[in-house]
Amino acid sequence: MLPRSFQARIASVLILLMLVVVGALYFAVQAATTVAVRSQAREQLDVGTRVFEQLLDVRGRQLHDAVQVLAADFGFKAAVASGDSATIRSALANHGARINASAVMMLGLDGNLEVSTDERIGGQTAARLSAQVRALQRDGEQIVLLPIGDSIYLLVQATVNAPLPIARVMMGFEVDEAFARELRELTLLELTLVARQEGLPAIWISTLPASTQALLQNDMAIEPAAASDLMLIGEERYLDQRLVLASGDGFEVRALLHKSMTQAQQAFAPLDRNILLIAMVALLAALGGALLLARNISQPVQRLAAVAERVGRGDYQMPLELHRNDELGSLAKAFHTMQQGIAERERQLAHNALHDALTGLPNRTLAQERLGSAIAAGRPTALLYVGVGNLRAVNDSCGPGASDLALQQLSQRLQDSLRPGDSLAQLMTSELLLLLENSDGDSAIVVGDRLQQLLSKPLRIGNQEVVLDCCVGIAAYPADGETADDLLRRASIAMQDAAQLPGRLQMYERGRDAAHQRQIRLIRDLRLAPDNAELLLHYQPKLDIAAGKVRQAEALLRWQHPQLGMISPGEFIPLAERTGSIQNLTAWVIEEALRQLREWNGRGLRVQLSLNISTEDLVDPKLPARVSQLLMRYQVPAEQLIFEITESGVMLNPTLALQVLHGLRDLGISLSVDDFGTGYSSLTQLKRMPVQELKIDQSFILDLDEASEDAVIVRSTIEMSHSLGLKVVAEGVELACSLRMLERWQCDSAQGYLISRPLPAAAFEAWVAQPLPAAALKVS
Amino acid sequence: MTRPFLYLLRAGLLGLLCLISPALWAASLQAELVDTQGQPLTGAVLTLQGPLGAEAEPVTALMDQQAKQFVPNVLVVRSGTKVAFPNSDNIRHHVYSFSPAKRFELRLYQGTPSAPVLFDTPGAVVLGCNIHDWMVGYVYVTDDPWFAVSDAQGRVQLDSLPVGSYAVSLWHPQAPDMLPQAAGTLVLGELQTRQRFTLAMQASTVVAPPQGPASAFGDAFKKAKRDAAP
Repeated sequence: MLPRSFQARIASVLILLMLVVVGALYFAVQAATTVAVRSQAREQLDVGTRVFEQLLDVRGRQLHDAVQVLAADFGFKAAVASGDSATIRSALANHGARINASAVMMLGLDGNLEVSTDERIGGQTAARLSAQVRALQRDGEQIVLLPIGDSIYLLVQATVNAPLPIARVMMGFEVDEAFARELRELTLLELTLVARQEGLPAIWISTLPASTQALLQNDMAIEPAAASDLMLIGEERYLDQRLVLASGDGFEVRALLHKSMTQAQQAFAPLDRNILLIAMVALLAALGGALLLARNISQPVQRLAAVAERVGRGDYQMPLELHRNDELGSLAKAFHTMQQGIAERERQLAHNALHDALTGLPNRTLAQERLGSAIAAGRPTALLYVGVGNLRAVNDSCGPGASDLALQQLSQRLQDSLRPGDSLAQLMTSELLLLLENSDGDSAIVVGDRLQQLLSKPLRIGNQEVVLDCCVGIAAYPADGETADDLLRRASIAMQDAAQLPGRLQMYERGRDAAHQRQIRLIRDLRLAPDNAELLLHYQPKLDIAAGKVRQAEALLRWQHPQLGMISPGEFIPLAERTGSIQNLTAWVIEEALRQLREWNGRGLRVQLSLNISTEDLVDPKLPARVSQLLMRYQVPAEQLIFEITESGVMLNPTLALQVLHGLRDLGISLSVDDFGTGYSSLTQLKRMPVQELKIDQSFILDLDEASEDAVIVRSTIEMSHSLGLKVVAEGVELACSLRMLERWQCDSAQGYLISRPLPAAAFEAWVAQPLPAAALKVS
Repeated sequence: MTRPFLYLLRAGLLGLLCLISPALWAASLQAELVDTQGQPLTGAVLTLQGPLGAEAEPVTALMDQQAKQFVPNVLVVRSGTKVAFPNSDNIRHHVYSFSPAKRFELRLYQGTPSAPVLFDTPGAVVLGCNIHDWMVGYVYVTDDPWFAVSDAQGRVQLDSLPVGSYAVSLWHPQAPDMLPQAAGTLVLGELQTRQRFTLAMQASTVVAPPQGPASAFGDAFKKAKRDAAP
């Protein structure tokens, strides 16, 4: 398993390298010293061999000289010539003692032993020795080594000449352990001499310790080969030099010079120890250096990591200064820069999250927070909810982007008006909130009024002056709510209510919240109403005044809410218009009306139905096609349908609306202008529209009086319509006198409670089947 | 003064004898001495024992020492002859003999020693010099009246011998055991007799003059090492 930390890794790599280097060095030195030891030992052996050779030679020559001297001694010759063996023996002993010879013998020329100083050497042995020596001498060797009994002798022989040879003198020098020790002292080599004789145990003379010697004897017995080799005797290794000193019939004398390798290697032991010591020190130094280096790197890295972790947790204040000129230094600088950058961007993000991008004002979240903290602190706070109603119109009239400029100017204006402790927030694009701390509702109204006046002053956008339609709703804590959400919602409701008021300023009224909740519920449920079969159509008859017959009716949408009961169209239709679900309702109404028409048609009841088409439907270019499909599907003639539209609906987008109207008209559907007289439509506009009917708004009809202004308007409208070729319908006819006036003014149709209230389909069918009520009939 | 006179007298008498009896002293022998390989032997001694015994006369022989050599190398004398050992070298010599036939020792001397050495026992006497080991000389003492030493060609000439039959003995320093060898009998007539004799020889044991010392073990070791080397 690899060490995980960077520090440990650097250290281990360095130490590994160091180990390899030191190991290689150590083994190289070991190999070199082994070779050196070996060659040194070999050299020492060679030198030792020469010394040994020289020692033997010197000793031999000494003996040789001594025996020569003895043989040449006139007195000795005289003694030998005398044949007196006692004399001869004493002479031999005397001369032998002079040179420490171990044995001196005299033999006749025929080889018979005549005199010997060593009783152990018998006549037979002496004769054999003499023959062997003479044989070796004939081969040119003057000095010979021979095993005699249990000793090895260095033997020389000389002839006694008087002047011709008369006898032979042989001198022997015992090569014993003293000799071997002498050699060891001279050469520091161990010496072993081995003499083998036929039929006799081998003679061993050695300077080796007795135990080693025994092992060596054992080894030699097993494997007497190898002239010179590394030899393992017991625990010690020896380098050997083996020599055959003498060999002949039935005997052999070998010398073994040993050099203890163990001893030789001891000379290098200090070197080994030193190298080991150096290696250890180097390793320790490498370890220390590696750790230091790694620390030098890893510590800043750890600091950087710590800082990065702190940054990760959102702490950007941790100082990071390494004061280094290397890569880590630049990394630290980069970290520092990054830390600052992140801090800056986060601050920006936080600002963006809590502020509006356009005006830079606090947003809803921050406003709620502030409000929350005011509530938590129990500070009475007033909320001024400012809504701008006509931003879209500003954009339309002044070009895109104008509303942004307008809002910026508006927010600036608001901000300038703030007192200390007040705060401003932008809740939505067109909605702003002013929080007045330590302020109750009454004082807020004063501020709100002043604000309303301030905001109503025209703004200058480019070259144009714009007046923003600002509404201000006020709610106060703790009077109007306990939570920020409640307060905000109620302020918003107040603002919406204000939009309906000419002063555009409204204090939140208790209960408005419940109405608002009902609205929200209705908006939500309305979307599902067509599918849940909660909708139905009621039909209000339209009386053909001239004919005194009812051939037309207006289909009116009714909503039977499962919990809230019957919902009036005046309540839910505006909601549907505001939320855009009106198109769904219209589609449902058209289909339901067609279904009903088919049903009635099937029963022979032929009625022309008026349907209300919303403003949104008028700007839907696909409407004519859809209606055409439905007509085909229900097999109802288009002439049985009248679509009622409002003036304002056409005004919203006249081009598209006219296109849609023409499309519908081309199908054969009649078009009627509803609520005529309430809008501001021009006659030119009316003329361009392909309408066939005008429906005078009920506000003109309800209190119709001969002398009133309404009568003038109604009457002139009827006349104008007829002159334009349009039929006129009067709505809200409740009084018989009204009907009579309309009849006199030749109004085409009348609709109202005087004739009938809106009836369910079955009731309508039944009503149509009966004769007209008296009131209506009085007309004719 | 008397002794030189006597010598002269004796010589004169001998010559007279030869002149007056030519028939009686007519035989002569010319012998050639070779070894078994047929090579002529120098310094070989031939002695004849004749039909007539010659009277032994006291005669003095000379064994000179010249250039550190005995001259002659082989000297034959009749038993009872005195041999003088004059020293012609300008250095001293120490002449000795351990031979059973005659043991004597002439200690370091220069010139002629005072008294000659009497050789009265037949046999080979080996002479040596104690200070010059290589000096070897031989005095062959014989009872036979006639004798001669072969020259470089191995020839021996004996004249004025009585006619008759002779027992021939041969000797040489390298004869086996340094003993005389009988070579049969020889009849000598008036005419000159030519005869060839073969003598068995022993290997020479003459001591060589001193040479450089030999390093025997040095050779032995070198040999041993050569053998040991693979």
